[in-house]
This record gives sequence, C-alpha cells and structure tokens, in this order.
Amino acid sequence: MERFFSALQAILNGVLTGSLYALIGMGMALIFGVMRIVNFAHGAFMMVGMYVTYLLFQGAGLNPYFGFIGSAMFLFLLGYLFYRGLLKPIRGRSDFMQILLTLGFGLILTDGIQLLFGADYHQINLPLLGKNLRLGSQISLNAPWLISFGIALMLGALLYFFVMHTMLGRAARAIAQNRYAAPLMGINVDRVQALSFGIGVAAAGVAGGLLLPVFYLYPTVGDQFTLKAFVMVVLGGMGSIQGAAMAGLVLGVVENLTSLYWGNEWALAVDFVIFLSVLSLRPSGIFGSQRV
Amino acid sequence: MRSAHASSVAVLACALALTGCQGGVSQKGEGSRNKIKIGTITSLTGSNAAFGQAHKNGYAIALDELNSRGGLLGKTVELDYYDDQSRPDQAVQGVSKLVDLDNVPIILGAYSSENTRAIVPAVTQKQVPLLMPTATADNVMETGSPWTFRICAGSGAYATATVAFLKGMGAPKTMAIIYENTNFGQSNAQAMQAAAKQAGIEVVDTEAYQASSPDYKTLLQRVKARSPAVIYFASYLLDASTLMRQAEQVGLNPAYYTSAGTGFAAAEFPTPDKGAGRNAEYTFSVSQWLPSAKWKGSKEFDDKYVQRTGSHPAYHAIEAYITLLAAAEAIKKANSTDPKAIRDALKQLDMPETTFGPIRFDSKGQNQHPVLITQVQGGQYKVVWPGDAAESKPIIPTPPWTKR
Repeated sequence: MERFFSALQAILNGVLTGSLYALIGMGMALIFGVMRIVNFAHGAFMMVGMYVTYLLFQGAGLNPYFGFIGSAMFLFLLGYLFYRGLLKPIRGRSDFMQILLTLGFGLILTDGIQLLFGADYHQINLPLLGKNLRLGSQISLNAPWLISFGIALMLGALLYFFVMHTMLGRAARAIAQNRYAAPLMGINVDRVQALSFGIGVAAAGVAGGLLLPVFYLYPTVGDQFTLKAFVMVVLGGMGSIQGAAMAGLVLGVVENLTSLYWGNEWALAVDFVIFLSVLSLRPSGIFGSQRV
Repeated sequence: MRSAHASSVAVLACALALTGCQGGVSQKGEGSRNKIKIGTITSLTGSNAAFGQAHKNGYAIALDELNSRGGLLGKTVELDYYDDQSRPDQAVQGVSKLVDLDNVPIILGAYSSENTRAIVPAVTQKQVPLLMPTATADNVMETGSPWTFRICAGSGAYATATVAFLKGMGAPKTMAIIYENTNFGQSNAQAMQAAAKQAGIEVVDTEAYQASSPDYKTLLQRVKARSPAVIYFASYLLDASTLMRQAEQVGLNPAYYTSAGTGFAAAEFPTPDKGAGRNAEYTFSVSQWLPSAKWKGSKEFDDKYVQRTGSHPAYHAIEAYITLLAAAEAIKKANSTDPKAIRDALKQLDMPETTFGPIRFDSKGQNQHPVLITQVQGGQYKVVWPGDAAESKPIIPTPPWTKR
C-alpha cells in the first residue's frame, strides 16, 4: 500500500508539473506546425514572461495568478512584432537562417533582460506556498501547483478549441498541411503566421508566469525549457498541439517516476533517451499524425 | 616587447569599443607600467551569480584597502574580471584570456568547485599561480599541480566537522545525503559517506539531483520513505531554497537538517525575499566565517560590507577578500610580478593574523582553516559548535513542520 501511494503521489506531481510543460510545448508546436521552424527563443520568451509577471507583482502588487494575463498580452505583442519585423523579411529563405534568427533573438532577449535588471536572481514569496491539499494521510498536493494546473488546463483547452474550431485556427492548420496551397485558397499566410507566432510565445509567457511563484528567475532560467519544448514537439508529432500537450504530461510523469525509482539525476537523461528513441524509431512522434 | 604587445591590445580594444578612447593608446601604455593587474575568474552571471556578486564585493573591499595604502610595489592594483557565466568551459576560456591577452601574473578564482577544477590544468600548463577562495571539493587540490593554493577548508573538513558535531549531540544512527550532481556536490557527498561510515552512522539513502530543477518533491518523498535521522545537503542557493520549501510540502521531518555550507550558508538563504525564509529555520550548516568571528577585523569587514551593499556578508565574500590580500602579500614578498616568483612567495607565505584567521599554505598548497557549525535561529546564523566558539545552544531535534 505504501508503495502504491508513493507511486500515485509521484504521478500526481508529474501531472501538475507536466501541465506547465504542456503549455510550453503547445506554444512551440503551434509555431512549428505553422512555420516549420524550431523556435529556439522559446525559453527566452518564457523567461520574459516570468519577468513581466514579476514586475507586475513587485510594481503593482498584482498576484501572479492574474499577472500571467499581462505576461500573455505582452508576449503576444512581442511575438507578433518579432514575426513582422524580423522573421517575415527572411521568410522563404533557408530554414537554417530562420532557426539562427530565433537563436539570436533569444540571446538578445536574455542579454537585454540582464542589461535592464542585472544577472541577480529574484523570487516571490506568496503565503500560498505553504498551503497543501491533503487527500487522506498519504497524498498531499501543493496549492500553487494545483492552481497553475487548473489554469494550464483551461488555457490548453482554449488553445485546442482555437486551433480546431476557429477560422484562424483552420487557416493555421491549412498552412501547416501545405504552405503553398494555403494562399491559393485565399489564406493570408503572413497574418496567420504572425498571429500564430504571437499566440505560441504567449503560451510560453503564461507558463512562465505560472511557474514564477514556485520557482525563481534570472536571465538564463528559460534555456532548459527550450530543450524540453523541443523534445515535446518531437514526441507529440512535429507540430501537433494536442500531441505536444500529451507529451508534456508524459514528460512530467516520466520524470517523476524516474525520480522515484532511480533518482532525480536520471530524470533528464530518461527524457532524452525517450527523445532519441522516438526520433529514430517513430519519427512522426508517439502521438500520431503529422498535423496541427 | 611587452609594452608593444600592450599597445596593440589597446588599439584593438579601441577599434572594438570606438568610444571613450581619447588618447587611449599612450595612456594605456603608461597605465600598464604603473598598474599591477590581478586576474579574477568568478560567476557574475548565470545560476551562481549571487555568489559571484559576493566575491566581487569582497574583492572590491580588499582592492580599496590595498590602493588606499599606496598599492603594490609602488603601483596601483587593478582587478581584471572574467565572468565564467557559471559554466566550466567559460572558466577555462577565462584563463587563456587573462594570461595570453592580459598577461596577469596570478589568477584568483573560480567560484564553484566545478569551474575551479576545470581551470587547474589550464593554469598548470600556462604556469600561473591559482589562488582559490571558495572551491570546497577536495579534488581541486589533488591534481599534484605545484601552481594551486586554496584559502578555504574543503569537503573532507566539512564532513569531519559535521560528524563530530552530531556525535556530541546525541549521536544519531541514520543519515541521507542529498547533493547536486556537479563536482561540489559529488565531492562533499563522497567525503560524508566516508566520514559517516567511520563514525558508525548508517547512510540509508544518497540522492543526486540537477540544481536547476523546479521540482524535488519526488526526491524528498523517496528520502522520507527511508526516515533518516539526519539529512546532509550539498546544495547551491537556488536549489537549497527550493528543497527546503518542498521539504515542508512533502512533510519531511528528520531530527537534524545539516549541510555542506554554500547555499545553506549564503547570506540570502534565511531571508524570505531571496531565500527559503522561515523554512530555513533550524537548518545546520558548516561555515568558515561569520561577522561575529573572533578574528581581528571581522566586525570592520562586516561594517564595510554593509555600507557597500546594504546586507551582511557570508563567508564567500570574506574568502574573496582575504584571497586578494594574500595574493598582494605574495607579490610584495616576491617583489616582482613574475608568476614563478609569486608562486614561490605563496609557498613561504605566513600571515599569522588576518580577518580570516592565520593564512599559511602546507606543502600541498592548502591553508588549514577551522570549520564552524551554525544553525539558523530567528532568521540569523548562530554558531553552535565547537563549544568554545558557540554563541548559542543548538535547537534539536528539529520540530516537525506541523508544530512550527
């Protein structure tokens, strides 16, 4: 029984963490689906989202569980402008150039934040942090993680609805299926790509805002999440956002189970073993088809 | 040759900088004749930036003191910083930059054990003395390099002191070791394994972890299942705070939370804004110095630090401070800026009274520095061991989270 509860606890923890991963991965998958580029600035955008949420908290006393909305809006704008100003002019050139551009922009964001706010780390201290929901005597769930799970679930569903059932979402999927045929069907590719890029990084910004209360922030804190997001995109089937969401949850649960049975130091290694196996054995991802 | 080299570097620097360069070449030429540059590698950015800042503040206080006393060999002392971004590969690049381009005769640093271990081969190959302020992993001193010297006490001393303290406090029987999985954590975990075994404490669990993770709940859950009486942490600052916050969430209640200093001894750790806040309460830590230390000048250093930064220093800052003073003393004794002459002077160095106690390097380059044990009580680090230095009685066992 003891063993059952500890496994259950690890799985629940994994789902809570995984829901934030899922948000990050869905944003990256949306961008990848519509543009076929890996956004190597994804973690940096997420880090900017953490700073925005932090500044709203420090400056205006806005609770991060509302502040993430500000972060989402700011990042949407930033992503939209980044696409219009920098990414669009080199559309149609080699993918390699576009990847380098996102990589470079990520460095600019990181160094820009460092210039503005210094290399020092920050954290916030909500009273909520010490609150736990106890289920029986064995299972306990930490309040901030539960709240962020709820918000991530809602926003994930919203993003899914947007992609599957709105005109803009359909247009995005059409571009993902065939970027040459889409404009012939009357789709304004530039507009859809700009909006998708904005929405994709806004999702990363939300995840950043939700992570802030349980984490800390410094300019390079997002780097590790770019890699994770990339893993999720591959696992989820190269651009499928529901696939990326599932992959996020799986990653969270696998990391926690690895941590429980083998030890925390193996968690990252197992991530990448899965990543490499999927790439070599099932390159279209474990969650099915190649579509957004 | 040397000044020609210096001016070509100055031209290059001007070309790169393009601004603030009026008369730069001639000034620089004269300048380098009137200045002694000391190379410094530390982590000014990245995850260990808090410790890099502590280094920088400590160095700055020492530099002010040196230059206000007229500098060294009649010249002004200048610090040449290289930021290793908390990454070992960058630290190694720092050695090349400082030695090959800037011609520094000695290097101080780095901050972490990982980065310090990485630069030992580089300084040995380039034949420049390396003076280490804070690297506690004992393997940084076990390479047999004749160019390395260490100011601080190491992982072996940390483990021995912690075990001796535990023996005097009711001799608990079981222990879990939780460590970050780079050189610092590994070395301290190994040292504790050995020390615990010798003292008859059974190590029931060892857990390595990645220091940048947001989530250690499952790791702590694993430790909880083994119910050890003692936990020994080897952690940096951000992970230390996360671990102690999540220890409460998991309901992990050992009788003693002990640690290999570092994150658990950082000035920020017991504060709510930059550390674990109330969750830091009752944790024990190894420490090398505190503002209340008995050595002359400790209080003055504390005052200067508070004046400069608005907060009290932890031992990382004074180790940087004393490292620069020891380097200066060696240059003075050598009466030269030749790296080999400075190395030989370091071997003979004898500073019986410093703010960090006596400084003398043994044949391996290690300074024998005594280790204290502190406990966070009411948000302050209080020395609780050894008896003759204790300011306060240790509070044991640690009250469970539900009774705090």
